[in-house]
Amino acid sequence: MKKKNSLYAYLMSSPAMLVITVLSIFPLLFIIWYSMTDYYYLSRAKPAFIGLQNYKKLFADPYFRQALGNTLRFTALAVFFEVLLGLMVSVLVKSVKQGQKLMRTLTLLPTLLPPVTVALVWQIMLSNNFGLINNLLGVFGFAPVNWLLDVNTAFYAILVIDIWQYTPFAFLLLYAAMQGIPEGQYEAAAMDGASKWAQFRFVTVPNISRNIVMVMLLRVIDTFRLFDKVNILTKGGPANTTATITQYIYHNGVNMFKVGYGSAASVVMTLIILVLAYGYIRQSFNARKRALKG
Amino acid sequence: MKKTLALLLVLILTLSMTAMASAEPVKLVIAARGGSHVDVINAVKADFEKENNCTIEVLGLENTDLKQKMALDSRNAKGAYDIVMLDDPWMPEVTEAGLLLNLTQAGYADDADFVKTSLALGKAPYGTGDTFALPFAGNVTLLFYNEAVLSAAGAQVPDSWQGVLDIAKAVNGKDGKIGYVIRGQQGNPIVGDFLPVLWAYGGDIFDADWNVLVDSAEAKAALNLYIELLANGKNFEKNDIVSSVANGTAAMSLGWPSWYIVGGASTAGYAKIPGKAAPDSVEYPSGVIGNWLMGIPANTQNTELAIKLLTYLTSAATQKAAASVGAVPTRVSVFTDAELSQKYPFYATLLAATEQSVERPRTPKWGDIENVFGIELSNAITGIKTVDQALADAKVAIENAIK
Amino acid sequence: MRETLVSRGTRKLLVAVFMVWTMFPVYWMLSLAIRGGGELFGALNLLPRSFSLEHFADLFNTKAFDVAIGNSLQVTLISLLLALLFGMSCAYVLARARFRFKMKGAMLFWVLLLRILPPIAFALPLYILMSDAGLLSTKIPLILSHLLINIPFIIWFMITFFEALPIEVEESAAVDGATEHQLFTRIVIPQVLPGLTAVSILAFMTSWNEYLYAAIFVQSPSQFTIPLALSTLNSEQELTQWGNIAAGGVLSLVPIALFVLFAQNFLIVGLSGGAVKE
Repeated sequence: MKKKNSLYAYLMSSPAMLVITVLSIFPLLFIIWYSMTDYYYLSRAKPAFIGLQNYKKLFADPYFRQALGNTLRFTALAVFFEVLLGLMVSVLVKSVKQGQKLMRTLTLLPTLLPPVTVALVWQIMLSNNFGLINNLLGVFGFAPVNWLLDVNTAFYAILVIDIWQYTPFAFLLLYAAMQGIPEGQYEAAAMDGASKWAQFRFVTVPNISRNIVMVMLLRVIDTFRLFDKVNILTKGGPANTTATITQYIYHNGVNMFKVGYGSAASVVMTLIILVLAYGYIRQSFNARKRALKG
Repeated sequence: MKKTLALLLVLILTLSMTAMASAEPVKLVIAARGGSHVDVINAVKADFEKENNCTIEVLGLENTDLKQKMALDSRNAKGAYDIVMLDDPWMPEVTEAGLLLNLTQAGYADDADFVKTSLALGKAPYGTGDTFALPFAGNVTLLFYNEAVLSAAGAQVPDSWQGVLDIAKAVNGKDGKIGYVIRGQQGNPIVGDFLPVLWAYGGDIFDADWNVLVDSAEAKAALNLYIELLANGKNFEKNDIVSSVANGTAAMSLGWPSWYIVGGASTAGYAKIPGKAAPDSVEYPSGVIGNWLMGIPANTQNTELAIKLLTYLTSAATQKAAASVGAVPTRVSVFTDAELSQKYPFYATLLAATEQSVERPRTPKWGDIENVFGIELSNAITGIKTVDQALADAKVAIENAIK
Repeated sequence: MRETLVSRGTRKLLVAVFMVWTMFPVYWMLSLAIRGGGELFGALNLLPRSFSLEHFADLFNTKAFDVAIGNSLQVTLISLLLALLFGMSCAYVLARARFRFKMKGAMLFWVLLLRILPPIAFALPLYILMSDAGLLSTKIPLILSHLLINIPFIIWFMITFFEALPIEVEESAAVDGATEHQLFTRIVIPQVLPGLTAVSILAFMTSWNEYLYAAIFVQSPSQFTIPLALSTLNSEQELTQWGNIAAGGVLSLVPIALFVLFAQNFLIVGLSGGAVKE
């Protein structure tokens, strides 16, 4: 039985593993190798091996460090608020008990829109002249705010757009998780005299803690890649406050054809995400190892 | 068995021969900048297709994608494109890499009808070398102003930047009006918006020996004026700039003609960009020239036909016909054509401005330079760094970029 | 038994506020798409003052949007089907403890790693690979690259779904003489249908909106996908064509929205199933 199991397992898993490995092994080796060369795509000379020089140059570049800092800060804030708001809305919606199906479908729409469209629709909403938001401020007697060009607001404007787009995603996942919590636990807690807040702290949260972590990880991986909104709306400014790592890689590696340098930046980016995701990876790895033995 | 095989063989041979024998029209592929340029090419290609029994396919891509495509395809032995469009600042890096066919060596003789500054862009080295690309779409930055606002302030169209500032000061804040609008978005926008001021003050990014001059006294004076303009105005992005100037909320701004001029009518007044700092200063050429050029990839598979098509697309007749679909010419004869000048009165100003324009520095590293210069300029106008600090950092960054 | 923190009415209000906040820009996009061109300059009112389908017409007549929609559908559906087929099979054997084989641990790590790697780093090497293989004039590079994006995601996501299924059902079926494959197709898959639906929607969306690989592999306008067609509407030397962009966004949204609408019954149950504790 065991032998047949093995064969079946290999048969079932090989198409997927074959496809993704064949497609990714060359690029992975390519990036790692070329990150240590001076590969300039338009050059007729063969790329020369230069060791870790690209990496040194990266960290010596104040604009890269700034992009790195921006990306980390943005990711931390965006994920925090998306999960927090998602959680709050889930609790709210669960307690209201009406129109939930409709809400679940409609709230998915922002996440489904193409990034270019999201950026441009928000651009027109934040515009100084046709912008609804500034018009609204005007109605209440406030002066218009130059959302995307003011150094104090641009970063937060992009943050708000991102939170707008992905809070529903967190809401859907967490709400669904909450629906899996048996009512009995709430009833038991209520009978023990627990307030709604205590019920939330001691029944809801522990049950969905795994989901919260999963949502956070998913969002961290994806938010770290922030590019389209920034590229279209602010081009990294003002004063480089909205520059991100992917934008840096795109400019150097794609626009300027510095493939070696761009690869080094990609490697750094991957390592950073690996570090950020380390906790989750180890935890799920161990969980599976236990399952394997079980 | 043998008989079937023989029959099959004959069948295959016949089929393949008919396939080869049929006169398949040659397909020419143009890699172009998506948007109006694609519309222009599609509007004029029919005659050429008929005359030369070919089909022309136009691939319209966004800026960076187009550049990337050109570079990637250049590596292939058999090129997929027969004509490529390129933004003029790309010329140095593209020609350094040998991506384009040397038109002069292929027998093309320069046509003096092209505006000199436009034709110079297509040569490598700039202005003096062989021709590698021809100017397809003309463009140069101009000063745009709202006539009503200016006349209400009793002002004439300024010919110096001090004059611009004076009008801005007079207009700003009164009746909710904006004196001057800068295009201060980091990167290509702010660099393009600032360069005319820099040049008018006698400054530049590089000198003839490629020493970096961005921290010179002239540059500091120019940047200080630019910041003063912002103090008497606003910082908007492209769409807001146009709507402000067009509907009279703002007095003046710099811009590309294609933003304001659709068909023959312009939504704002336009003039050559002032080339002097003060009314009695030396006058320098100050408009930024930005042409879309067309070249032939070195690895094209249809050299003869591609050259023919290139000549056709940039010919006077084609440019004249394309004017009605929004194309901006690059030939003197088309600019001065009587019939067109009547329909498009802005041609005269555009021609004069183009002849007096300045090209951005011709270096393969322009993308990097524009990037870092844009960051530091943004630092300066937002007050994050002082003018001196920003320009000093810009100098270091630009020197690093061209190393 | 303390009173709830917030009254029921306030809670409903808060939920309504969230819905308006979330849906408003989508409404705005829709309203821009149907306004006449003239109305799009200057101050915009909350409700459209005009109604016009000119932007949609323009997209189809001059921007070949129909070609783009066709290509997007083709690439997304083909890659989605393959990704689901391969991904589900692989996820199943990785999830179930009874399948022991040497490569399991390595496979799990590899799948996680691929989920984390940024696609931008892969674009150029994949281009070189496809170019050398002579595949650039086909849709194959794009389909393959979408498989590369979606398969790790599907495996990773579906493993949790499979793990959540009680093993007893399969064990009793096995006792009744079912083969491995019958277990998979007749017993397991029907139970994870909700999860399968959820992951299909997310994978569909990823593939549908994918731009990076589409841009690098495209060779001819006949290969354009929707994101590529949308990208050319925003040009530096021209004013932004708001109407067309909004119309493009609406057209892009329709297929996914339809898909979601039909699947909504399965979606939430599915997402909850996958989120259950390990």
